Parts: sequence; structure tokens; C-alpha cells
Amino acid sequence: MQTIEALLLEPVGCLAEFSSTPFHEIAVRLFGRREKPISSASRSYWRLLNLIDAAKKPFDEEKKSIVETLEVEAVDAASIYEDVVPALAELKSMGIRLFVASSLSRMAVLKFIERNSLGEFLSGVHTRDEAGGVKSAPLQSALDGASLSRENTMFLTDTLEGIKTARCVGVHPILMMNDPDEAQRLAMHNPAGGVVSLNEIPDFIRVLAAQNQRG
Amino acid sequence: MKKVSIYRPTTVDEAIQILSQHGSTASVYAGGTDLLVRLKNRLEQAPSYLVDIKKIDHLRYIKEDAQGGVEIGAATKLAELVDSRLLLEKYPMLVEAIGKISSPELRNASTLGGDLLQEVWCQYLRGGYSCWRNGGYLCYGAIGDNSYYHSAMGGRLCYAVYPGDAATALIPFDARAKLATPQGEKELSIEQLVPGDMLVDGKIQSHVVRYNEILTSVVIPPPRPGVKASFEKLRPRGVWDFAMASLGISLQLRDKTIEDSRVVFGGISGKPYREKTVEAFLKGKTLNAEVGEQAVSVALADAAPLKYNATKIDMAKGLLASGLARLNT
Repeated sequence: MQTIEALLLEPVGCLAEFSSTPFHEIAVRLFGRREKPISSASRSYWRLLNLIDAAKKPFDEEKKSIVETLEVEAVDAASIYEDVVPALAELKSMGIRLFVASSLSRMAVLKFIERNSLGEFLSGVHTRDEAGGVKSAPLQSALDGASLSRENTMFLTDTLEGIKTARCVGVHPILMMNDPDEAQRLAMHNPAGGVVSLNEIPDFIRVLAAQNQRG
Repeated sequence: MKKVSIYRPTTVDEAIQILSQHGSTASVYAGGTDLLVRLKNRLEQAPSYLVDIKKIDHLRYIKEDAQGGVEIGAATKLAELVDSRLLLEKYPMLVEAIGKISSPELRNASTLGGDLLQEVWCQYLRGGYSCWRNGGYLCYGAIGDNSYYHSAMGGRLCYAVYPGDAATALIPFDARAKLATPQGEKELSIEQLVPGDMLVDGKIQSHVVRYNEILTSVVIPPPRPGVKASFEKLRPRGVWDFAMASLGISLQLRDKTIEDSRVVFGGISGKPYREKTVEAFLKGKTLNAEVGEQAVSVALADAAPLKYNATKIDMAKGLLASGLARLNT
């Protein structure tokens, strides 16, 4: 793997513990889904993103308002992982460029950043609103907007959809091993790497730098 | 078995030159009980060049130094340590600990240096998984079966436990390690030698010895009057197995008052885990059963077990209780 220069971060599953309920509720109210709710917020979120992606049209104003309200509720109820702020501070001090690349609405993402005082660490914010789509669109938007090199960029994720999305845009999918059983299953899908905690990302990047220096 | 080339230098300087020439593709070869297994398993991380140090004089000895301490050559066999009357007389706890390493057959081959610097015995690494120590970027132990070989005290990319017992037993005596380097001799405490998962020369390893450095000896200071020490170890079988948890403990006593202590757990962390909270708690206390119970209650508050290994912490606390009880008799 090449030396890493930038990190793309999706708040759901990567930076904070979310509840799955708001994402499930959006799927029920806007898409009429009747599946049983699942406990994993990340899987619920990415399931919703698949629905949004498959609809292939933007929300009308009424639906947009419902989605944004529920997403902001999700952000309000989310608990940021305790290692996030120290890890982001260390990464920034190492010169790593940090971007939120999220399929949430801009309103929800900005609320998340403000609520957790993350703004000082970020080089950019890319949401589904300015990207014009979900899943790979915000990642693509961040890559193009900041002229990032794909082989020098990581995307942190804890879902199979996230791994596939990263591969689709050509960045390195790094598995956040939040749930050991789920991580064991996802490890079989060949992520480029995996970490137990965001705190390990600075060491991960140092290992890569040392290995590349050694040749 | 992975194909290798073997060098047989006759001096430490020559060995360092060869190691420097081949970088991290070379490795020191002494007892071979760790290294040859990695080669047989064809691990990606296994070296291509072996620098056999057995022909080098002055690496295999146990001798008393001028201060009344003992210096042990790094290539000294573990069986020779177990049989040493000098060590038994001065540090019986160390002899007991070494006697509990592996099996008699393997102690005849294994060296002190090899025990201190051995690779972790994580089943995923040894099984050839592409993990942090084997060319990959993921710890399978953190998400798989971590009941035995993995840390219950957190990790740093790799979650395997440091497997050696010698370090756990040497730290209570404030032992130090001597290294030969291209720049000359270097001396470190055993704690500094094996500080846990470190990035050294682009590799993750448990010790700080660089690719072109050689551990040459271990020096143990003279025994202090009033010091009592104990080594405890729990493992699935009576021989051969690595520690599920172990404890090296020394107490500096004046009558029954604990003036100083060293409390070191093995088998539960990526390094020999010195429990300074317990050491601070014990200072100035009178050694008795009640203090033993209180010490156990403050121990290992920073534990961060993985899914299947919380029992290691219970075991370690049990060893602390039995170690203190033993020293109280």
C-alpha cells in the first residue's frame, strides 16, 4: 500500500455510535420498507443508502425535510467515540488531510461537526447535497474537490457496502472492527486493512510510510 | 521450509556486519526453537539469511560479576540456567521461572536471548495469515479466537501477547540487557528491551533490537537483603504451553513492611506488564492477607479484554493473590 496522505471519514460507524432507528424510520416512511429493524446503525444506514441510490432521483422538498429532520435527530443522539478527537488531532499534526465524505445531508453533517467540535481538524466536508448523490458520490466529490490521489487515500468503514464503495472509487477501504463478529465476516472481503480503534490509524500510516521508505 | 542461506560468523563484529549487509531479510539464529518454526511455516516475515551466532565465543556463560551480580550470555541455554547453582543460590525465583518455560527438550535448545526476543505465538501469524507481523494490515486475533494468545490489556495494531517468561521473571530483579550495535555497546533495562508492539525498521515487533544489533548478555544486579520473590504461572498443560497468565513479583521487606516492590504480569499484554498501581499500593504496607486482598482489588484496572479473554484478567489477579500469600509465609 502507498504512503497515505488523506483520510475520508463517514461519521456513521466511523466516528460515532449512532442509533439505527432514524435510518430505519426513513426507509419505512419514504420507501415503504417493511423489513424488521436491524440493531447495527451502519448496516441500517447503508441499506437506506441503497434505497436512495436505487430511486435515482432527488427527494422532493417534503421528503427532503423528513429525511433531514430524522438525520439531525440521529446526529443529536449519536455518541462520538472517545478516541476520535485525539486521533484526528494526531493525524492532523502528521500532515494527513482529513475529509468528511458522507452520504448524510449537509445539514446533518455540519451539525455533527459542530456538536463534536471537529471543524478544526478537517480540510473539507463533502455530503450528498453538494455531491449530488450517495455512496460513492461524496467520496468522488472529496477526491476531485481536493485533487486527492486515490492510491494515497483511505476510507474508513464498518460495512461491506462501504468496502465496495471505496473499491469502486479506487481508495483503500479500511475496516473499522467495531463488532468482532461482523469484522470477522467482513475481513473475508479483503479490505486493505483493519483497525480496532481510530487511535491506531496514525500508527497504521507510520507503518506504511516506514515500509515504503524501506522499499 | 523456506529456503535460507546461513552465515556462521565467529565474532560479534562479523555478525553485525553480515546483519547490516542484509537488512531486515537476515536474522540472528541461536536455539532456533522460534525461528525454525517460522521458516517451516513459510511465513512471509521469516528471514532469508540466518546469522548463526553459536560459533561466537563469549555468548554462552553464567558468571558472577565483581559487584556480586550475575551476567548471563545471551546464547546460554535455558536448561543451563535451570541447572545453575549460582543462579539458584542468588535468584531462586528466576530458576523456577525458567524451569517452567516450555519443555525439558526445548529448554536444551532454547537460549535466554531467544526467549527474550521471540516472535509472538499468535495462531493467525503462525498459520500464515496476512497480519500486521506477516505482511498484512489487520489483526485477526482482535476479531477471531483471542482466548489464549491475545492481549487483555489493549493493543497497538497487533493484539498478540508477549510470550516470553524470562522477561517477566527478570524485571523484578531490575535486570538489564547488553546489546552489541554498529555504534558500540548499548545497555537497556529489560522493560526497555521489550516494551511491546513497536515499529522498528518498518516492522512491528515486541522488542527494540534493530536488524543489525545483537543481544549479547543479561546482567542481574546483586540480590538485595530482605528481598523475597515469587514466580507464578498458569497454562493449559503442565509443560510446553505458554502462559495464559504469569506473575513475577519481588518484595523488599523490612520485617513485614513492604519498602519496595516489583509486580510484573506475563501472558496478558503485548509486553511484560508492570503493574505500578499495585506497587504504589503495597509501598509501606504490612504484608498480610488483608493487604493481599486489597492489592488484588486495585490490580489491572486498565484491563481491556477482547471478546474471549476476560478470564486472563481473573487468572492474573488470582496469581497475584497466590504470589503475595506465598511471600507471606
